[in-house]
Amino acid sequence: MSTAGTRRAAIALTLAGLLGLVALYWMVFFWVPTEVNQGVVQRIFYVHVPAAWTSFLAIGFAALASGMYLWLRDERLDRAAMCAIEGGLVFATLVLTTGPLWGKIAWGTYWTWEPRLTLTLLLWFIFLGYFMVRNATEDPEKGKRFAAVVAIVGALDIPFIHLSVIWFRSLHPEPVVARPDGPTLPGDMLITLLFGVLVFTTLFFGLFLFRYAVEGLRSESDLRARSAA
Amino acid sequence: MTTYWKQVWVIIWKDLVLEIRSRERIASMAAFAVLAGVLFNFSIDTTTTRTQDVAAGLIWMTLVFGGLIGVGRTFQLEAEDGAFQGVLMSPAPKDAIFLAKTAANFVLLYAMSLLVLGVFAVFFGLEVGSNFPWVALVLGVGALGFVALGTLFAAVSTGTNMGETLLPVLLFPLLVPMVIYGVGTTTRLIAGRPFDEVEANVRMLGAFALAAVAAGAVLFRYVVED
Repeated sequence: MSTAGTRRAAIALTLAGLLGLVALYWMVFFWVPTEVNQGVVQRIFYVHVPAAWTSFLAIGFAALASGMYLWLRDERLDRAAMCAIEGGLVFATLVLTTGPLWGKIAWGTYWTWEPRLTLTLLLWFIFLGYFMVRNATEDPEKGKRFAAVVAIVGALDIPFIHLSVIWFRSLHPEPVVARPDGPTLPGDMLITLLFGVLVFTTLFFGLFLFRYAVEGLRSESDLRARSAA
Repeated sequence: MTTYWKQVWVIIWKDLVLEIRSRERIASMAAFAVLAGVLFNFSIDTTTTRTQDVAAGLIWMTLVFGGLIGVGRTFQLEAEDGAFQGVLMSPAPKDAIFLAKTAANFVLLYAMSLLVLGVFAVFFGLEVGSNFPWVALVLGVGALGFVALGTLFAAVSTGTNMGETLLPVLLFPLLVPMVIYGVGTTTRLIAGRPFDEVEANVRMLGAFALAAVAAGAVLFRYVVED
């Protein structure tokens, strides 16, 4: 896709995502019924869970693009991986801010080693490592390869981290675990949640395409500057 | 296939001979292990905590930090002398180089972890007893997972201008499964529980180690190519 085409797609997706976000907030604040046990605070759930889903989508997508990059050495694949990781970092940060806010009221503590929260924290650090490696080499091509390796190993490690933090948790049970389970969620809540996931995914890809177009323009201008010099 | 393993063996042998002659890494790792035991001893208030209860966690933390000292310098010596180019240009495939480097690191780290176990047993009065072979097995499996990821990312960090300071940032988040399963099983084994109770977790530790070795063997070539 040309850069202009990418930009058009980015604008369309981001606008759709933002409109969806307005609708989602309306649903969260006015439509969906209040959860009985936790009260109003549970409404943060509809932002928290879709953000978490998006950050895991980001690492999966980035690992796939990174693997393809190492194989085909197409700059566009590396750019896609980097932009996905950047988006993932933003959404993981969202999870790590909404989580403690919710946890303070629901569990009575800002931080608890709840498996999914722990996993997101580690994912956040994997994202961070990706950028640290990428920016720590003099040869940009080397940084891209190193970063791709970090993304792939990080994605492969996630199932292990997930299983181990669940097992660790089973050793240290918390007295109150107030977490709605997906399938048992009442209809209205489930619809709001699924809509939230759809909105966040759309927004992620919109922002992703914007970043991707910017990186495309940057490499084009680099190329022009180099041929002019 | 036999040439492949011969190539692996030659590199392992070269690394171990180099290590035996210079004693550069093993000496600092061993000193670190003993001194960490001394410091940990003062970090525990024995009026509130029984040292036996936290010893397994301290053993694994010593293994992680001491391992960083050793593994972080895997490629340092060769990089300084420009000798690593020679290794890379040799007919050995890149994954053979990775496996050999990992194996040599494993010998070092495993020796260190057994030393740590011994030192901590003396310092903290641990009674490992009949579970000793199982504890030694768990430490070995954990050390394998550590050196596989450690060797891969040591190659990465050596190639950056941040050097070894980057290694913990990359390694620690990925090592969480190893620490959780390792500490969990070691604690129970030291407490005298039967191996059956922790077998499933040792298997998970083994799966983690094998996945790490496989991922490293596949990805190493992309790290060292020039």
